[in-house]
Amino acid sequence: MSLLAAIRPDDWNLALFVHLLGAMVLVGSLVLVVTQIASDNLRLGFRTLLIAVIPSWIVMRVGAQWIASKEHVDDIDPTPAWVDIGYSTSEGSFLLLLIATACAGIAARRARGGGLRTATLVLVAISLIAYAVAIWAMSTKPT
Amino acid sequence: MYDTLLFLHLIAAFLLAVTVVMYSAVALGAATTGRALFVADRCWDVGGLGTIILGVWLVLNLDQYDITDGWIIGAIVLWFLATGLGQTVQRRTAAGETAAVATLHLLRTLTVLGLLVLMVWKPGA
Repeated sequence: MSLLAAIRPDDWNLALFVHLLGAMVLVGSLVLVVTQIASDNLRLGFRTLLIAVIPSWIVMRVGAQWIASKEHVDDIDPTPAWVDIGYSTSEGSFLLLLIATACAGIAARRARGGGLRTATLVLVAISLIAYAVAIWAMSTKPT
Repeated sequence: MYDTLLFLHLIAAFLLAVTVVMYSAVALGAATTGRALFVADRCWDVGGLGTIILGVWLVLNLDQYDITDGWIIGAIVLWFLATGLGQTVQRRTAAGETAAVATLHLLRTLTVLGLLVLMVWKPGA
């Protein structure tokens, strides 16, 4: 599978590029959120979640669906484990990111962290761990 | 072996993306903290070393690629360019020269994007 990935058809490249670009901006902006929330810069943390994390998640997910349709991986029965891992981590994390955005927004509005700040940090950290697993699954493609 | 190298190479590339995103916030005028820039700079250092070492290791590990392939030479040239720009951005940020940092960071971002394009399209491979 890995060698197949190394010699993939050219018309998959744009979809892969969109998927990778979205994923990289997503991870980068999540690390920015962690550093800002941890430094009590709640406003910037919230804004980053709203204008960078959520949009880049959408780009990553659209790219994922695009390349999945080109590779026809959804038609394979049973669906390969790495595809299932990708879908479950991305969709599961989206819910966490929405909750984290709401927590960070309320904390920024109140101008004090407390439990909401901790909740945001935990949710973002769980998402980052999930993405590390997803990167492992996408690169090693376990069956 | 190939899978592990590719995974670690990708993680290193993601660390470069972390730096690019965090410095983009600075370039856009966000009031980031010193801790954020420290994390961004360390991600750049580790990601930079990781991408080049693991990238060359990957090429040597696969029969279908050669270190003299045009896209690989292009990637190495872009890597050196990005590294030089990154070091300059770090130095000028520490010196408080924020006006120059924005332009240099834009160039670094374009260089990293160029690297990503080369890695995906692999022209000539």
